[in-house]
Amino acid sequence: MKNGFLFFFGLFFVLALSWAGLVLGTQAQMGDLSPHYDDLEGKSFPERASGLASRGQLVYQDLGCAACHTQQVRRPEYGSDKERNWGSRQSVARDYVQQARPLLGSSRIGPDLANFGMRAKEDGVDAASLLVSLYNGSEGMPAYRFLFEERKIIGESSPKGLQGVAAPGYELVPTERAETLVAYLLSLKQTYEFSEARPFEPVHANEGAHE
Amino acid sequence: MSAEMPNDPRLEQAAATDESLISAHEKAAAGEPDTHAHYRLLPLALLFVFSGLIFFGGTYLNRYSGHFHSEIFDERQMPGGGAEAAVVQIDPVVLGRKQYALACITCHQANGQGVPNVYPPLVGSEWVNGSEERVISILLHGLKGPITVEGKTYNAAVMPAFGQVPGGGYNWSDEKIAAVLTYVRQEWGNTGGPIAVAKVTELRNKEANRKEWTEAELLQLP
Amino acid sequence: MTTVSTSSVSTEVSDIDRSAHCSLSFLIASSLAWLVIGGVLSLINLIQLHTPAFLADCAWLTYGHTQALQETALIYGWAVNGGLAVGLWFLARLGGAPLRGGNYISIGAVFWNLGLTAALVGIACGEMTSFSLLQLPRFIQPLMLVAFGAMAAPGVLAWTGRRKEATYATQWYVVGALFLFPWFFSVAQVMLLFVPVRGVLQTVLASWYAQNVYSLLLAPLAVAVLYYLLPKIKGKVIPSYDFAIYGFWSLLLFGTWMAGRTLVGGPVPAWIPTMAIVASSLVLFHHIILFVNLREVFSPAGSLALKFAGFGFAAYLINGVVDAFFSSRVLAAVTQFTYFQTAQHQLVLAAFSLSIFAAIYYLAPRIVGAAWPSSSLARAHYMASIIGFTVLICALAIAGWRQGVALNNPELNFTAIAGITRPWLLVATAAQGLLVVGNLALGIHFVRLMLTKSTAESLAKFNQPSALEASS
Repeated sequence: MKNGFLFFFGLFFVLALSWAGLVLGTQAQMGDLSPHYDDLEGKSFPERASGLASRGQLVYQDLGCAACHTQQVRRPEYGSDKERNWGSRQSVARDYVQQARPLLGSSRIGPDLANFGMRAKEDGVDAASLLVSLYNGSEGMPAYRFLFEERKIIGESSPKGLQGVAAPGYELVPTERAETLVAYLLSLKQTYEFSEARPFEPVHANEGAHE
Repeated sequence: MSAEMPNDPRLEQAAATDESLISAHEKAAAGEPDTHAHYRLLPLALLFVFSGLIFFGGTYLNRYSGHFHSEIFDERQMPGGGAEAAVVQIDPVVLGRKQYALACITCHQANGQGVPNVYPPLVGSEWVNGSEERVISILLHGLKGPITVEGKTYNAAVMPAFGQVPGGGYNWSDEKIAAVLTYVRQEWGNTGGPIAVAKVTELRNKEANRKEWTEAELLQLP
Repeated sequence: MTTVSTSSVSTEVSDIDRSAHCSLSFLIASSLAWLVIGGVLSLINLIQLHTPAFLADCAWLTYGHTQALQETALIYGWAVNGGLAVGLWFLARLGGAPLRGGNYISIGAVFWNLGLTAALVGIACGEMTSFSLLQLPRFIQPLMLVAFGAMAAPGVLAWTGRRKEATYATQWYVVGALFLFPWFFSVAQVMLLFVPVRGVLQTVLASWYAQNVYSLLLAPLAVAVLYYLLPKIKGKVIPSYDFAIYGFWSLLLFGTWMAGRTLVGGPVPAWIPTMAIVASSLVLFHHIILFVNLREVFSPAGSLALKFAGFGFAAYLINGVVDAFFSSRVLAAVTQFTYFQTAQHQLVLAAFSLSIFAAIYYLAPRIVGAAWPSSSLARAHYMASIIGFTVLICALAIAGWRQGVALNNPELNFTAIAGITRPWLLVATAAQGLLVVGNLALGIHFVRLMLTKSTAESLAKFNQPSALEASS
């Protein structure tokens, strides 16, 4: 290629083209996506996470949980997401507007967590039992012992202590990271029915309007 | 004579100089087509393949891109096809139950029985099951002074205004008022029929600014 | 055909190579060190897949951390250092002048590697960004950009100061990679980390960045190696070379649009994965042209470098076909979120690594001025790499497919899925171990080469190449 200027212009052009299309284009389409205010409920969705849950998201990101867990539900006939009770509808872009850094994940070595809070509520899993399963590990997930500390009981024992593990005179309590992580997990819900999330029913028969 | 075997992995021998590499290929790029027959077919074959790929790409894009719409997340969907676009049908009883639990329950109690001498009951009340105008008006603008329900008098100071009226603190939409009334009129054995949203709107527009009703004024309503 | 020079000094090794000796040796040495480190981290990561309790008590080495660590070490450590070393040498050689600004390369490399070390420590402490292939902590990324600029600048100088006006395919690909990387790296830094876009736009941008690392950095450097080594070692002009230019532009044009393949069914508008699927098919045009140009590499005629290059090229072509087929929604319904995607990532890495190995075996004797000391280490590395990569990729692909089928069956819980994939993951772990051993052999071999002195006798072993005839 003899013309050096044309070469560099070409390089710039191909990158600018894909940047303009994919990045700028989606920014133009969805950059001002905002929560949807529901008159009847009197609040906007998706709801903002509580302070504890926001810190828990940082712990989730820090530990790299996104390497094994996704937080995106696929539409009902695509895969078995709905049958596994991971969500009754597809996740849409609006579900993530309140998150500082959406942790969508790209690997399902463990279950999808987008609606973990909803499932926990249905199954009666509360913060205490979640902490216990974090300590013990479950199925394929290792036991994260470093999220807990064993300390000497001074005065009264802490109500947050986990039973049955610590030596006499000691108690096992969750660290702040564990508590915030649990608060974050229990806040994960994508249950509000946005209009764009409604499942699409492909029409099979022709509408008879042209008869 | 080189001491190395021709294919010694310890030293790859070059078979061409760099300058000749560039000049030979420059000639090849600029030059006439090869005399070999199948090379002349190559540009045609590549064009054919490229056209095929473009055709596939174009068709696929046309069918599955949702016309680049930002709210199409299902690739089978096309924009503009949403029949039930934004109209969501809410069950008024469900909404009314929620509103009742939010606001009415404190005085009228969860079982609708109210508090003797203070808050009138809603169960079997002639006010609730009777005239639509009267009960809608109570909710819209509030009630002041004593009221007699099923022969007993109740002396709460005031029932607040729930409608979108000046001085009202609740500002419930007409849908909410209709919903909560529909709920109350079918709960605990009540037999009143549902209340239409249009009726609430009509009454609100008719008596825009007024203070709380009294029992006497209400009895004058049809 | 090679002809032997009558003079005692071959011009095959010249001032160009001597000028590059210090800086490029340092780059290659650090790339091989990172290759081994990354390989070990990758091994730990694979072990944690089938034995989750492995190192689970250590907060620094959770699975998420080792995943980020291994991918960062391999891409930013091995791939950038190795690719730059090879690319800069090609630009110097084809430019026909000694490498200018070799000090900038060395300083840039020092800062790049220091920055990468800090980045890995940061990731282990939890500062990773959670974006795939951009896990470098926020605090270190600007430094990495500047260091890369320092390393790439001499390459640009070699291009602008070239002796011949005409250019060759290798130069296009290397200059393309050197120019495009800082651009998309800085865009990603600004729009993801410093002034972040909102919500899923981050995911789209992160996908764009990751795809660009594959298509605009790794792929061009690998292809540059193939275009250089084939005519140089075989002594024949590339057939149908007039189409090489279309191959180049089609890679650049369509490659970056393949971002979004991993977002099929995700919370992004459907047109993004659709564009990616279309682009994955269109980029096959580039692969077809490459095959027409470079198919002679599959008959290496005993040359070790060409054997490596042949396998690298095969991996590259297979990767193109696999990406095109498995990005389609029907197949992605099974393979998305599984180890199959890991296998695809390993396939790109294999294509790149094998090509760079070929280049290293070719150029290292020239910058040192002496032949490799041991042929058994070279052959051992060759066998370990070929067997290792093949087994690793096949095992991960099969594990991923079975995992995907099992995931789509709502009756199977995750313990059952883990049981199904476990044997394949054990095989993959063994293959990764073999790869690490092979790379260690290469590292030791390179150190031994560095310690070999360049003498008149060793220089005489380089045959003087003849001029390439214009048509074969």
